[in-house]
Amino acid sequence: MILQVTNPLNSSELIFPTLECIHIAGFALSVGTIAIVDFRLLGLGMNHQSTAEVAADLAPWTLLGLVVMLTSGPLLFSSDPDMYYLNWVFDLKMVLLLLAIIFNYTIRRKTAYSGKSGTRAKVVACVSITLWVGVVFGGIFLAFI
Amino acid sequence: MSIAHAIQSIGFLTDFRESALVYPVVMSTHLTCIAVFGGMILMTDLRLLGVAMTDRSISEVVSKFRLWKRVGFCIMVTAGLLLASSEAEKYSPNPFFWAKLTFLALIGIHALIFRPLVYNNTAELDKSPAIPSRAKLAGALSLFLWFGVLTFGRLIGYYEGPGSPGNQGAKSAAAIALPASHRASVERYAVR
Repeated sequence: MILQVTNPLNSSELIFPTLECIHIAGFALSVGTIAIVDFRLLGLGMNHQSTAEVAADLAPWTLLGLVVMLTSGPLLFSSDPDMYYLNWVFDLKMVLLLLAIIFNYTIRRKTAYSGKSGTRAKVVACVSITLWVGVVFGGIFLAFI
Repeated sequence: MSIAHAIQSIGFLTDFRESALVYPVVMSTHLTCIAVFGGMILMTDLRLLGVAMTDRSISEVVSKFRLWKRVGFCIMVTAGLLLASSEAEKYSPNPFFWAKLTFLALIGIHALIFRPLVYNNTAELDKSPAIPSRAKLAGALSLFLWFGVLTFGRLIGYYEGPGSPGNQGAKSAAAIALPASHRASVERYAVR
């Protein structure tokens, strides 16, 4: 006999779109604050403050955004796992997300707090932005594949 | 309906809608702008409420993000116009679409009221020992209105009414063979 398990998230029509909105707000907070630091690394704004200051100001908000995003995301996934794990764009998105988070808390963090500017800092900022934009694109494209 | 049909039948909009690549790219761009520039709106509002970045003056936060918010807003609106006009027949009977536009209009009114009082008057706000209530009101209303835009924007894809045959661009439900019980949620996700 097969045990029937029903995901409570599928019990209401409204839960999925509500979670999506929370997910979008979560990544607006995390990616938005990450982008502000990246723009600073590129010398494109907030130039009156050091990158380290901007990064320190925003770090708790980035973390909060990531927590919201990484809570709502798996819940969205759980509503229909088959659709996601049969989808190569979803796999790509997860790889990019993992890389983006690791990069964010290692190389990029070191660069932002080192106070160095110049080519290296700019490359780090570009890699960071590219990874996060890739994650967002992956989220849309997985529905179109 | 005929006006909507005429709009979406314009040559390049038809090509745009039917493109398997350009349509999702523009949609992703729309969402990327929400992430990057929506985040800045969020931080500005939280600063006005006295919650975030309190080490920085309001003047600094408002002026530093202003240019980027404007750039982002322009890209976001351009992408949004393309998405909506290419699917005009589907969007025009959709109540969530009109709710979203209403909220965007309210954001315009918010700007008319609070720009002179708050956003262009930040030096005075910084002089005050506590954040004046008009600044907090501006931040709170802005948060509410933008969350409304976000919510109605996402709900557009869930409306099933006359003239919503489904998005031709989104094929995930058809491409992946799934049990019927799962298909509903896939379609829900795909039809944006």
